[in-house]
Parts: sequence; C-alpha cells; structure tokens
Amino acid sequence: MSPASSRTPFATFRDQYAELMRSAFLVDLQYRASIAIWLIWGVTEPIISLGIWWSIAAGGAVDGYTREGFARYFFGVALVNQATLSWDAWNIDRWIREGEMNHRLTRPIAPIHEAIADNVAYKTPTATIILTMWIIASLFWPAVRIPFEPGRWSLAIIAIVLAAAIRFLNGYATGLLAFWTTRATALVELQFGLSLFLSGRIAPLSLLPPRVAHVAEYLWFPYVLSFPVEILTGAVTTSEQYLRGFAGQAIWLAIWLALYLVVWTRGRRHYGAVGG
Amino acid sequence: MKRFTRAMIVLRAFWQLNWLEELQYRGNFVASLLGTIFWLVMAMLTVALYFRHTPQLGGWGYWDVVVLLGIFNALAGVVETVLRPGIGHLPTDVRSGALDLVLVRPVDAQFYVSFRRLDVWRLADVVLGLAVSGYAFVQTGRAISAWELIAFAVTFAVAIAVVYAIWVTLMSFAFWFVAVENMAALFDAVFEAARYPVSAYPGALRFLFVYLIPIAWTTTIPASALTGRLNPALATWAAAVGIAALGASRLLWRVALKRYTSAGG
Amino acid sequence: MPSAIVATELSKTYDVKVRDPGIKGALAALARPRYRQVRAVDNVSFAIERGDAVAFLGPNGAGKTTTLKMLTGLLFPTAGQAQVAGYDPWSGGNPFRQRIAFVLGNKQQLLWDLPPEETFRLNRAIYGVSLADYTTRRAELVELLLLGDLIDKPARQLSLGERMKCELAAALLHQPEVLFLDEPTLGLDLEAQQTIRTFLGEYRRRHGATILLTSHYMADVTALASRVLIINRGRLLYDGELSELVARIAPIKRIELVLSETVSRARLEEYGTVAHYAPPRATLEVPRETATVASTRLLTDLDVADLSIQDPPIEEVIRIAFGETEQDAEEDTVRTDVRRAPP
Repeated sequence: MSPASSRTPFATFRDQYAELMRSAFLVDLQYRASIAIWLIWGVTEPIISLGIWWSIAAGGAVDGYTREGFARYFFGVALVNQATLSWDAWNIDRWIREGEMNHRLTRPIAPIHEAIADNVAYKTPTATIILTMWIIASLFWPAVRIPFEPGRWSLAIIAIVLAAAIRFLNGYATGLLAFWTTRATALVELQFGLSLFLSGRIAPLSLLPPRVAHVAEYLWFPYVLSFPVEILTGAVTTSEQYLRGFAGQAIWLAIWLALYLVVWTRGRRHYGAVGG
Repeated sequence: MKRFTRAMIVLRAFWQLNWLEELQYRGNFVASLLGTIFWLVMAMLTVALYFRHTPQLGGWGYWDVVVLLGIFNALAGVVETVLRPGIGHLPTDVRSGALDLVLVRPVDAQFYVSFRRLDVWRLADVVLGLAVSGYAFVQTGRAISAWELIAFAVTFAVAIAVVYAIWVTLMSFAFWFVAVENMAALFDAVFEAARYPVSAYPGALRFLFVYLIPIAWTTTIPASALTGRLNPALATWAAAVGIAALGASRLLWRVALKRYTSAGG
Repeated sequence: MPSAIVATELSKTYDVKVRDPGIKGALAALARPRYRQVRAVDNVSFAIERGDAVAFLGPNGAGKTTTLKMLTGLLFPTAGQAQVAGYDPWSGGNPFRQRIAFVLGNKQQLLWDLPPEETFRLNRAIYGVSLADYTTRRAELVELLLLGDLIDKPARQLSLGERMKCELAAALLHQPEVLFLDEPTLGLDLEAQQTIRTFLGEYRRRHGATILLTSHYMADVTALASRVLIINRGRLLYDGELSELVARIAPIKRIELVLSETVSRARLEEYGTVAHYAPPRATLEVPRETATVASTRLLTDLDVADLSIQDPPIEEVIRIAFGETEQDAEEDTVRTDVRRAPP
C-alpha cells in the first residue's frame, strides 16, 4: 500500500490542489490565444456601458456620479468581473451528457476541487492582466486613478475573493442541476441576465429604480460585483457599510455552500439511480 | 446567369435540408425563442434605465433607440440563423479536415461554407426584431415616405452585407490561427456596441466604430432611415461601404484559401 | 483471504417511460404516463478471488457496463449487494476509490492538450503516491507498455491505441487492488490490442491485481482470462472456465470470402455451411480444426479476392451455446421511444 496514509490529510489535499492547478494552468497556456479573445470580450461590455454613461454625464453628474466616477466604476467592474466569471455549469453539462463525469466520480477527490483549481489557475493571471491594464491606463488617464490606500485595497481583495467564491458556488450548484435537466445552463443564463441589473453591471446600483435596487438587496447579486467594486471606487466609506457588505457576503456564501452540498448529494444519488 | 441559377438551386437545397433537420428539434425552438424574448426584454430595460437619467442618447429619443434595438435584434437573428452555423463553423472544419471535403465540390467554397448550415428557427429572432422596430416606429409618431422605406430596405441589406463581411474576415484568420476556437467571440464582443446609436458614444469610440470596426454601418444607418436621419449622401456612402466590405473580405478569403490549399492543408 | 469482488444477487431496474410516437402519443403520455420496467441487471451473483482475471462477455446492452458501474460505485443496485476490495462501492467513499481503477475504452481520461506525463503527475498527487513508488511504477509501466517517447507528446497527437496504453499506465500508478476495464480494446489496431492483452497478463502476474474486464471480443479472453462470465439481457448465463465453454459450443470458425468469380451457393456448400451468401461476398462456417485446410482448398479451387478467418461473434456464440432463438434476440432490439436507455 502506498505511504499516502503516512501523510496528513492536509498534505495530500495540498498536493492534489497544487497539481490540479498546475495542469489547469498548463492547459490554459496552450489556449492563450483563445483566452486573449475572452479577455477582450470581458472588457468590451464595461467599456460600452462606460461610453454610454460618459455621454449621459456630459452635462454634469448623474445622481452623484461624474464622468470620472463612472470611469472608475466600470474599470472596477472589468476587474471584479474577470475575477468572478462562472463557466462551470457548461462543463458539468457537457461531462454528464458525454460520460466524462464517470471517471471524475471514481477517483478519490470530489469533482468540485478540480473546478476550484481550474478557476484559480485561470482567474489569477487574467485578473492580474486587467489590473495591469488599469494601472497603465491610470498613468495616462487621470479619471480612472484610485488613491493608494493599502487598507482599502486589502479589504477590496477580500471582498473580491468572497465574491468569486459566492458566484462560483452559485454557478456550480445551478450547473449540477444538469443531473436532472438539460436546461441547467439556461438557468445560469437567466441568473446572468438578472445580474446585469441587480449586481450593478449595467449601472451602479444607486442609479437603479429604488424598488429594483431594494429587491437586489435581498439577493446575492450586489455582493458578487457591486460591493467589491464600490470598495475600490471609494463609494463604501463608513464601517457600517463595510459591515453590512461583508456580512451579506458571508451569509450568501454560507447559503450557496449549503445549496451546493444539497444539490451535490441529491444529484449523486439521482445519477446513481438512473445513470447519465 | 447560369451560375447564379445553380447557386439558387443549391441554396434552396440547403434551406430544405436544414428545415427538415430542424423540424425534429421543435423543443429547442421554444427554448431559444424564450431566450430571445428574455434578452430583448433585458435590453429594453437597459435602455429604459439609461433614459431614466437622460432625455436623449446622442440626439436619439427613447423610441428612436428602441427602433435601433429592434434592428440590432434582427441582425443578431441573421447572425444566428446563417452566419454562426455556417461560416462560423469554419475553424472547426479546418481543424478536423472537413473543409477538404468542401473544396472538392464544384461549388464556390465560400458560398458553400456560408450557407450549408442554417439554424432556421432563429429566423424568429429576425421577425421579432423587426416587429419591435415596427412597434417603436409607430410610437415615434412619425410618418414615413416610400423613399425612406426603400432606403431602410437597402441599408438593412447593406448592414447584413457588412456583418457578413466581418464574419468572413474573422473566419479567414482561422486559416492562420488554427488553434483559436473562439474567433466568433471577437465579433460578439464588438457587436454589442451596435445596440446604441453611434452618436451616443464619446468621440474616440465613435471614431473606432465608424472607421476602424465598421459596426456603425450595421444598426445606426438602417435605424436612421426609419427615424428621419438619413440623407441621400449617407445612404450612398452606406451602399459603397457595403460593397467595399464584401469585396475586401472576399479578397482576404481567397488569399487565405490559397495559402491553405498550397500548404497542403 | 476475502474475495476481491463479490456480487450477491445484484439487480438494476429502470423505469422507462413508454410513449407512442407523434403528437397524440406525446399528449397521451403527459396525461397518463406509462412505464415499462427494464431489467438491465437481473439477479447476478459471482465471486472473484484476489489476483484473478475474469472476462465479462456479452452483446451490446447485455448489462456488462451497468454491472461494472455498480461495482465501481457509479450506480447503486436496485437489489442485492456488491463488495469490492472489502468495501461497499456506493458508500465506500475515497478509501474505496483509492483501491480501484476504472478505465473505459472509448472515454478520455488523459488530459487532452497535455502530454500523458502530465496526467501521470496529476494522478500521482490525486492518489497520494510517494515519489519513490511513483518512479518505480512509472518506469515499469513505460517499459511494459512500450510507451517510450509517447508520454511527451500531447495526448491529442496520439493514435487511439497509443492513448489507450497511456490511459492504462495512468490508471495503474497507484497500484489498485482491483482494475475494472470496460471494452479496453474497442476500436484499437491489432498491434495495440496485442500489447494491451500481453501487458495485462504480465501486470497481474507481477502485482496480483484483480482484473475484471468487459468485452465483446472473444480474443480479449483468450490472452487474459481463464474464467468468463457471460451475461445477456441482464442475466448471468455462464460462469466458468473458458475451455469448458469452448467445448460446449459447436467449435466453429467463420470464413469470410470475397470472390472474383461467380460461384453458386451449392458449390460453396461443398466446403462448409453457408451462413451468408451475397455475391461477391459469402460467409462459410466450418469446424474449428478444419478451418485452415478449408481455407487452403478455397484459395486453390476458387478465384478468391479476399479471405479471412474469424471467430463467430459473441452473439452467435451465446445463441449457439444457450439455444436462444432468433425471435428472443429480436424482441430485445425492439423498443418503444425510451427516454433513458440503460447505460
């Protein structure tokens, strides 16, 4: 028997993640041209939104947002969005349909870990690229400059990581519905459509009709984009705002984690009953 | 003339074949129609949100912008019906070698690749888009002359031509960058900007969308025809741009294909 | 010593919706759904000792893959129990998965865009194999499977046979107690098939792994397993030595002919039983021992463009061995619109 038993569970776990991330990174390296195109796609949406709001704000601030405010906001959106992308539902759907789930279910590591490693390996370099582009842009374009505040930036990083975790679990859990239906990816797209408004992608949440923004507060959407972005842009200032934001993130992280566990357990059982 | 007739016959054969195939997937039709309606509603809500904070976008009023949005949706429908399943499939066919099977046929390769696969159900998107434009046009309360209607038809055709030319150009690059699987994503990314009139963008972006990546000519011009912003000079320019785009993309295609065939594939 | 694999009255039953074709049928199914029970696996029991190699034979849809999936924990049984390497597969969790390997013939487990070497590394981490063990085992597998420089090329550049060999190596780095193989030689060229069969025999000899493989090639059995389990329509028809099975069935060989001249059916009957006659092709059945002689005679007497000698297909063997009629076989293939076919 292999001396795997002589190593602590954490050591094994760490090795598994290290190798999973390495494999994912090497594959991404092979697809770097395609990834560059995905990056372009990722930034064009906020740029277009910024273009429109820039024109609208030509005559003065819109509900407190000047042109510069919009520019900082949408650069923030580009960065946070890149760090919180969710594509796993499409993979899960394909794996279940094409029988590639089987070998993932017969090896001693739950399939979600491969997905987490894949996400980290993809998002760390690409988000860094966006961040670099932002830094370079701020050299030539004062509008997008953000004051250097290490405390604020650290909190922003924490918020971004939490946002990424929430959106990952949300996408993964919804994607697991593929155990039951072929329309799981459509559900993810539906959520994505709603998130355009409710998470602040089209516009800062304060510009939404009050009733819509109010609805958003009860869902997880603001916590996966708007909250981290507003930390970066300085819209979040008081400790009360920070507390409510982080509390909201923690709650929704717990909720989606629980939902994932439920769907995963049920889904496994369903798969074991009726196959693929 | 004979080649044209033959092309028409082949086109009709493609249509019938795709229609028969798609008939089996009626469930998909409902699903994709619901999806289109959903995204159309989202788009209109976005425009509504903008207009909460401004009375006009680049000089265009609310219903004018919705007219343009409908045209955008119709063009997107053309993309989903003809372009994405057809020429959008080129990178896959180059990689798998299926393109070689096309090259041995006595039909022009570009024509064949462009039209042999059609997602006929997505025509509903085109109809839906034009319907939205029609409704919005009525809401603007303008009268329309015969000339303007003809101008719209012509500029809409030009828009399709420009979009097609952009796809041909992008896909021709598949011959050089065989490893890239998501060329179409480049189009999708930039085409999003065509949702709004080009005058709604600040100067630098406007320049980009008129002269460099000519999507201004796709939605803004036909919508201008319906909203009283088109003059004969602009219309002529549009026609010229359309023809030039088709010609340039055809040239690029032939260069790419020549390189492919002489390199041994 | 406890057995490596024990199946006790294993059964897997699916409820499949029955629906008439067309719109009327669809509406009727919505109003009053009807179900049909499909017994994919029906009361299968067997025990395999440690270090044995057993072949699971049967035609497509017989229940081989379903049984294998129950033994590997992908499906849970509707009735009965399974025990593999001391664990219940469904609830065994990671300790169970640590002790098995499951290789599927037509499904890719290697990382597609990277060299197999990278998959080896990944498996080493996933299964927690020490560096020392990894180095030794990897070297042995590379040598036995003749991998050479294959492991440095991206998997997508390898042929199907080369990929399969690498898949096997990747699956054995953690030295599982039980190795499950589902149609491992499917679609492979003869050389690859041979290498794999030889390898499996040698590997088992060296490491005492228990091997259960499914196949519908008789040739897979001869090289590897002395014992066969024959399953058809979910039921275990035979469990015993191969030699006995061969003795049981009418030992025949099939000669497939492509003729360059017109030969009458009656003329061909002089050489053996004519199973199939569709000029210029024909299939003869002759006793196993006389197959070579009959072939020589055919080649000498007639103008033959192509000739090959083959074992009768497994369906034929089952039909001959167990006296099932053609009608039984036909019933099997007629299915109304099934929403879920047994895997």
